[in-house]
Amino acid sequence: MIQQLSVFVENQPGSIMRVTSELTDAKINIRAIASFDTPEFAILRLVVDQPERAKDDLTSKGFVVRLQKVISVELKDEKGNLNQMLEVLAKGGISINYIYSFVIRGDKAPVMVFNTDDYEKAEKVLKEAGVKLIDEADL
Amino acid sequence: MATGVAKENWVERIRDPKIECMSKDEMTALQSKRLVDVVNRVYDHVEFYRKKMQDLGVEPGDVKGIEDIGKLPFTTKEDLRENYPFGLLAIPKKDVIRVQGTSGTTGKLTLASYSQKDVDVWGECVARCLTMAGLTDEDIIHVCYGYGLFTGGMGLDFGARALGAMAIPMSAGNTKRQMMCMEDFGATAFACTPSYALYLAESIQEAGLVDNMKIKVGIHGAEPWTEEMRKKIENILKINCFDIYGLCEITGPGVAQDCIYHAGLHIHHDHFYPEVLDPVTHEACADGETGELVFTTLSKEAMPLLRYRTKDLTSIDHSTCACGRTLPRISKFTGRTDDMKVIRGVNVFPTQVETALLSMGGAVAPHYLMIVDREDNLDVLTVMVEVDESMFSDEIRKLDALRNKIGTVLKQALGVSVKVKLVEPKTIQRSEGKAVRVIDNRNL
Repeated sequence: MIQQLSVFVENQPGSIMRVTSELTDAKINIRAIASFDTPEFAILRLVVDQPERAKDDLTSKGFVVRLQKVISVELKDEKGNLNQMLEVLAKGGISINYIYSFVIRGDKAPVMVFNTDDYEKAEKVLKEAGVKLIDEADL
Repeated sequence: MATGVAKENWVERIRDPKIECMSKDEMTALQSKRLVDVVNRVYDHVEFYRKKMQDLGVEPGDVKGIEDIGKLPFTTKEDLRENYPFGLLAIPKKDVIRVQGTSGTTGKLTLASYSQKDVDVWGECVARCLTMAGLTDEDIIHVCYGYGLFTGGMGLDFGARALGAMAIPMSAGNTKRQMMCMEDFGATAFACTPSYALYLAESIQEAGLVDNMKIKVGIHGAEPWTEEMRKKIENILKINCFDIYGLCEITGPGVAQDCIYHAGLHIHHDHFYPEVLDPVTHEACADGETGELVFTTLSKEAMPLLRYRTKDLTSIDHSTCACGRTLPRISKFTGRTDDMKVIRGVNVFPTQVETALLSMGGAVAPHYLMIVDREDNLDVLTVMVEVDESMFSDEIRKLDALRNKIGTVLKQALGVSVKVKLVEPKTIQRSEGKAVRVIDNRNL
């Protein structure tokens, strides 16, 4: 499991930039970013190299931030791999709240990040199916 | 660390027991004498009042006592604007030692003038309020109301001076510096608007400084606030908070304030005579009935006002309070006649929104802004609510559920449908004077 940063932003020009510029000033490296919007606000989700420090820094600048545990798995870049992982979760009765992907630099494989209400069960079924889960240290 | 005092351990202090606990008959005699005097002064020296009284066929001799007050003409804010800036002076301009003004959101500001005695009376009334809040000449009062034309800063300053307490004239703004001075100087009381008090309290809490502060009392006014909001500030800072009321036309803060029993705000009616009137018929309301608060200044020299219509809605209680004072009490304001919005035919007050948000058990911060629009000939009320850490969820559906819940609670409280908009924290402006709670975009 890894820590993900969730930030509340209003739908306005520049609102994502205000978050990234704070993180730049704090010399925090952003590994992944995803935004899910409603007509008025959005939740900006980020995977960064120092999540605790990023949260403290953003909070002190007046942002509302949450650290959220999410499951991340490494998938080989091959046809059908994503489908296979989703099949494992579906069979295990695991509901996915949201999912996004990113690629770590170098020769590593793509990472899928997802959020679910039942982490333990999700980890268990994925491990049993031989899917590689990754931790902060692997990033 | 200072802690608020429980009611049972409270030691009541009364600055001027002779006046504050005076019997009804004695007070009526004092008020009558002062009313006759002020009526003569304005008739002789203020053309505006002379004309108004002549129009009504009233001569100074017709007013023999306080029971005749109903014969006198009203004064409105518009009258003050039309006679801006010095048209209502009852003394030579050279005897005016200062002016104060309203924060006037629309048009020209309203200016009030003061003689030396007016300032002394003002300070004395604020000192009575500070004493009512348990403060003495040993206290250190951190004043973060704005200093300037706005009466908040100067009013509390004059009060602290009359009391012999130490005033820290911080004025408003720069919360970090406020917290630093409050801690370093060992302030035992602070005074500001309730919305800023809450903001400051939260900032002190966030900085982990609550236990470093010696604050035991908060004096807050200049905008309507609820019991729930008072308790919230009291709980965060572990203090006792008091509701001070005033308006610059009458004098400024210190016209009235509540005591530890929080059973209404005691009016200094030896100087400011209150009437509560039906806003339409102008008939006097019985004790307990809600109407518009109307003041006559009984002792003011520079700019005395007869029956000034405050537009504040309240009810009055003339019974003796548990604290021992016979000063009548006005109930906490339900709103102002001009803050009240008629939305799809329903009367809505901002304080109702505040009460509803605070009733959600800490799930929602009481920082809000109401926006009224008219779309396709239909009024639409939007309430902007700030998202804070405790209510923020990582999942859109949970935020949506919260938004819907706020909408439901508000609809039940107000009787009209409300569009709820969640906004980023600290984006709704904190006030240093009066908080803007409503923006009406309808061109009615």
